[in-house]
Amino acid sequence: MTGRRIPRSGARRGAAPRFREDLLEALSNESGVSGDEERVRARIVDAVRDHVDSLEVDAMGNLVARIGFESTGAGARRNGAAGRARRAPHVMLCAHMDEVGVMVISIEKEGRLKLRRAGGIDPRIMPGQVLRVGTAGLRGVVGILPPHLTAHGDDEKVIPFDDLYLDIGAASREEASEHVAIGDYAVFDTVYERWGQTRKGKAFDDRGGCAVLASLVQERPPVPVTAVWSVQEEVGLRGATAAARRVAPDLALVLEGTASGEAPGASEGESAPRMGGGPTLTVHDRTLMADVRLVDLLQRVGDERKIPTQWKRPGVGGTDAGRISLSGVGVPSAVVSLPCRYIHAPAAYLDARDAQRTVDLVWHTLHALGKEWSER
Amino acid sequence: MSPAAPSSLESTLPQLLSAFGPPGRESGVRSVLRRLLRGSGPFHEDATGNLHVRRAGPGRRLLLAAHMDAPGVIVTRMEPDRGQARIAVLGGRKPSELVGALTRFEDDRTAIVTWERKDGADPEADQLLLETGLGKPVRGGSPSRARAGSGAAVRLEVGEVAALDERPTRMGDYWCAANLDNRAGCAALVHALMRGRRLSYDVHAVFTAQSDLGARGATTGAYGIEPELAVVVDVATWSEPKETSGFTPGQGPCVALKEQGFLAHPEMLELVRKAARAARVPLQYLIREGEGSDARAVRAARTGVPTAVIAIPARRSGGVWSLMHARDLAQTADLLAAILAGSGDAKGRGTGGRAKRTRAKSRTKQRTTKRGGRR
Repeated sequence: MTGRRIPRSGARRGAAPRFREDLLEALSNESGVSGDEERVRARIVDAVRDHVDSLEVDAMGNLVARIGFESTGAGARRNGAAGRARRAPHVMLCAHMDEVGVMVISIEKEGRLKLRRAGGIDPRIMPGQVLRVGTAGLRGVVGILPPHLTAHGDDEKVIPFDDLYLDIGAASREEASEHVAIGDYAVFDTVYERWGQTRKGKAFDDRGGCAVLASLVQERPPVPVTAVWSVQEEVGLRGATAAARRVAPDLALVLEGTASGEAPGASEGESAPRMGGGPTLTVHDRTLMADVRLVDLLQRVGDERKIPTQWKRPGVGGTDAGRISLSGVGVPSAVVSLPCRYIHAPAAYLDARDAQRTVDLVWHTLHALGKEWSER
Repeated sequence: MSPAAPSSLESTLPQLLSAFGPPGRESGVRSVLRRLLRGSGPFHEDATGNLHVRRAGPGRRLLLAAHMDAPGVIVTRMEPDRGQARIAVLGGRKPSELVGALTRFEDDRTAIVTWERKDGADPEADQLLLETGLGKPVRGGSPSRARAGSGAAVRLEVGEVAALDERPTRMGDYWCAANLDNRAGCAALVHALMRGRRLSYDVHAVFTAQSDLGARGATTGAYGIEPELAVVVDVATWSEPKETSGFTPGQGPCVALKEQGFLAHPEMLELVRKAARAARVPLQYLIREGEGSDARAVRAARTGVPTAVIAIPARRSGGVWSLMHARDLAQTADLLAAILAGSGDAKGRGTGGRAKRTRAKSRTKQRTTKRGGRR
């Protein structure tokens, strides 16, 4: 697919693109568990096709868009330049489309659906949840007996995931099978809402990053950018592993939704990063030692542009950046995240100002990279 | 360019042991290596932090890998009320080994690892703290700004990385230090590279970064080189006699038969044995579970690389300290030098053309060996 180019107004030249909140809403409401990202991808294609130079879906299902290659002359300089001549770096921006959810693995005689997790979900949050299953979005509840019928002491136990089931109201396996198939995915039945600056919805990890990335490509970037909306991050960083090999960028920025630490009784240190505290930068997680030069640059751009930044808790979590950074001969990589409360759960919260700040930070960092990034 | 006059292992090792180099922050080791290897080939530093040194030669492309990083700690959050910082361990160290260790940041600020005591239990990772010794640290700012420093002594920020105690001591025949794994391997490799006058291979030495985080440097380092064969130099440490596979410090370098993610390649095993015989170096065998080296990434690079692991024996002696016999280190350097000189190849010192024939021959040998099982 080659997109039509739409004329851009000169008025906003230099300013960062506006965060597409409409897209965040649409993407949050859409279902797309790991391995089932098709509908999310279609929404993003609709949102970005007119802005990018090329758009394709690779063998794994990653959506890959290229923008700004000819205008920045990267290719020509790359071939023609001798020795140490600087060229604009080819930047890979990546956000994953998939969300944590469950898959139907069997349909019981009584019409109940047995479930398996895709991605990290705490079994404590599951009982009583309303889920939407299959492409038709049929609603069901994760069944649990009411207090009347619960044995004394059982109300303090966590039900293991394998013992949970989804009840769509069907009376038999035959009846259930008319609407649900083994292998269907189910997601939390949550609708996006606003409250002041707070945005509430499911799957902000990483539809928040997806929307930030789609917002960024609305304007022509100052460096050649390959935008990747990746698949299967939550089940092992799989999509980005394949995409990075093909894109072979000079450096990578991964856009994420990350866990904020605020909780009752949490100390100030434990509460970090905070929702509303600005884009969150990673130094180290289970998969990545972020490139020091990139992290320093992100921080400096934040300072210069008066965009607050904060640190993600080192050592926890993992992102596509881990795999991208080990691709080929190695790719300097960093992660910029939207701090979200209650990720991997039915409803996450984020601060709309953090979303725009993240767009701003990445946009201005791309400009700084175009001016001063040099190979090691 | 002719290599600079070789210094002795006795003077090289302490320099490497004292250099700053936790996983992902190997800058100090890199600069010591650049100094030690001055004149021995073009240097290149890659995105993962590996330091590459090329010594062009006539034969096959040989990758020599030794990891530079040694375990460290990273500040995860501040505990402003107690003048302490929470930390996470970077690399393979048990929390119990770290308690009491002196740590040093790149700019020489120091702090002690302490822990939140719970009765009778060994320290868990989430109980570790850094004692800054200065009451309430200042909050805010950033790692890079804290590095720049404004005269403040021990001011810590989330994300800052410290190395473990870097003061080596010599006790009789033994080196005692926290970072022997794998600065000793680096030292052996440096000396083999400096010594080799005539090379039988096109030598690509890679001092790898982030090995303790999962052979990350070896993954990207080997990819760019596309080696035809590889030797990984590391340290084999044991803490309890029952964990040993029969190797003893002081009895010579080990060649690995099996470790996590790696089984010895028959051709390479034979190459190491031959070189050891030629160099009159006694060999021991290493078999270990649940622990590995860069070999697991190197042998899987591209379409696969015949790989050997040479490991210097060491004994973990409590806390962060390990002991290593000086002669094992010297013999490891001798063994590596013999390999570089071609003593392990079927025809001895090989030229480019010869190397090809040698390779065809050893492939035949490999098939025979496979059929017969490993003897």
